[in-house]
Amino acid sequence: MSDALSELQLALASALRERGSLPANAAWSAFAAEHISENARLSPADQLEIYREQFWLRHTSSLLEDFPGLSGILGQADWEKLAEHYLGEIPPDSYTLRDLGRRLPEVLERATWLPHHAVCLDMARLELAYVEVFDAPDLPPLAAERLATIPEESLADAKLVIAPSVRLLELGYPVAELRRRLRAEGDEAVSIPSPAPQRLVVYRRNLRLWDMALGSVAFGLLKGLAAGKSLGGAAELVATSEEAEGELARNIGAWLAEWTGKGLISDVTL
Amino acid sequence: MPRIISTDLGVGVGLRVPHYAAILAERPPVDFFEVISENFMVEGGKPLFHLDRVLEHYPVVQHGVSLGIAGPDAPDRAYLARLKQLLKRTKAPWVSDHFCWSGAGGAHLHDLLPIPYTPEAVRRTAERARMIQDVLEVPFALENTSSYLTYRSSTLSEWEFIGEIAERADIGLLFDVNNVYVSAYNHGFEAETFVRSVPHERIIQIHLAGHTHLGKYIIDTHRGTVTEAVLDLYRTTIQLAGPVSTLIEWDDEIPALPVLLAEAERARQVRNEGLALRAGQPSPPRRDPTALPITSGERAGWKQGGPRESAAAEVVG
Repeated sequence: MSDALSELQLALASALRERGSLPANAAWSAFAAEHISENARLSPADQLEIYREQFWLRHTSSLLEDFPGLSGILGQADWEKLAEHYLGEIPPDSYTLRDLGRRLPEVLERATWLPHHAVCLDMARLELAYVEVFDAPDLPPLAAERLATIPEESLADAKLVIAPSVRLLELGYPVAELRRRLRAEGDEAVSIPSPAPQRLVVYRRNLRLWDMALGSVAFGLLKGLAAGKSLGGAAELVATSEEAEGELARNIGAWLAEWTGKGLISDVTL
Repeated sequence: MPRIISTDLGVGVGLRVPHYAAILAERPPVDFFEVISENFMVEGGKPLFHLDRVLEHYPVVQHGVSLGIAGPDAPDRAYLARLKQLLKRTKAPWVSDHFCWSGAGGAHLHDLLPIPYTPEAVRRTAERARMIQDVLEVPFALENTSSYLTYRSSTLSEWEFIGEIAERADIGLLFDVNNVYVSAYNHGFEAETFVRSVPHERIIQIHLAGHTHLGKYIIDTHRGTVTEAVLDLYRTTIQLAGPVSTLIEWDDEIPALPVLLAEAERARQVRNEGLALRAGQPSPPRRDPTALPITSGERAGWKQGGPRESAAAEVVG
């Protein structure tokens, strides 16, 4: 739409996303004077500035709410720099603030100027997973008896459906534990951990969010199932050595029972 | 002229996260709750769990903050589909949003931005409002907003603007009395003129809230109690419009539930006074509207719907 009203709104939308003060900006002050009426107490640019301040206040607060661990690693100054950089590069485009941070990990990958860059990236991926899992669709968990009814000769062909409220993360740092410590002890008291590769399952159970670290074989199996492989196909993916094959054979029954019990699996098809 | 919706739910409050536990445990006597639609337009998890529990015991109406009906882009059909899906769940007797725009050029600014009061904007907003009401298949209402700027291009008053759209689109008005007061101060018009000039038969719900006076302007913070001056306007509104469902919004520094419910009872008393006036009984004395506290220099923001129920506090281990 390219009528006068739409053109005015497009220009205003740009003004409200400006990082600097509008009354201090000659071009925006002139724009405001052309379109906005002066009143007894505020200039046109002052009036527009009220809305600009709210844009930044609202969106930085919302990001902070969803990424407290990331802000805890960075500290206030670098967090604000990142939030402004992100909102400048990726303007909000969803009707819900719940989606505001969905591209933060993508932007963080390029933000190599940040201190503790690799830890920050892992933390952002973890916190985005929490956001996504929090209100993912509800599906009843698979009843353990259903698995037991599958004939042994058909087990390899069975496809286990992973619940939509599950995310699988391969991380370089123990950021879930770091996040818990940051929340419990505060930003000042917590030091950044050393690298320690971790395979983490984030899931929802009884409406609360949980995370669980898995070994490489168990994680690989779950990842294969999440990618749509049959149980046999997923097992083949991870049985890449005698050691792995042995671990799989010893534990697969217990893993499936545990994952079913935790609600990670919502269905099984043959 | 008869009111376009005769349903009067009484006096309700906004459903806010800090009160969920008390509401579900104690089931206090509340006539109805209003929910922010977008907070529940999700696939599952805690938000819908809580909503369903509340729906078991209370009537719920839906109020949106993201439609941005007067923006450059046509209303988002996917958004409307999800809104309609939520309406099936809540069975709300009506659904509302705001006279505003919220984004342009693909950006969503999550604000209730004021519209120039022009015939062009009336045409655009009315056409879309009519379409939306048809799509949603429940009565649709738009709310007057608090605003902090006025456009040189406006040729209509705000009350002419919203009244014209409501008539053309055949929709309802969600009349926010606090917003009238805030905008009247910010833009220098008589609040009572606004109250007396809107089509009262189209008012299907009323909002009341607190605000923050910063001296040079007032912000609609939904913080604190409703001022006496706003209650005076509310009494007049009820006198003119009759028994209209009324809701207290309290979204910043949200108090304990009993404080909020006491505020609803305060509104109920004024509503009864308005209804008595309408029935021809004598008018109670007016309070002094100039005795308003000014909170100079405070950094205040406006919020819609209080905090989202979000993942941050839900991680167990």
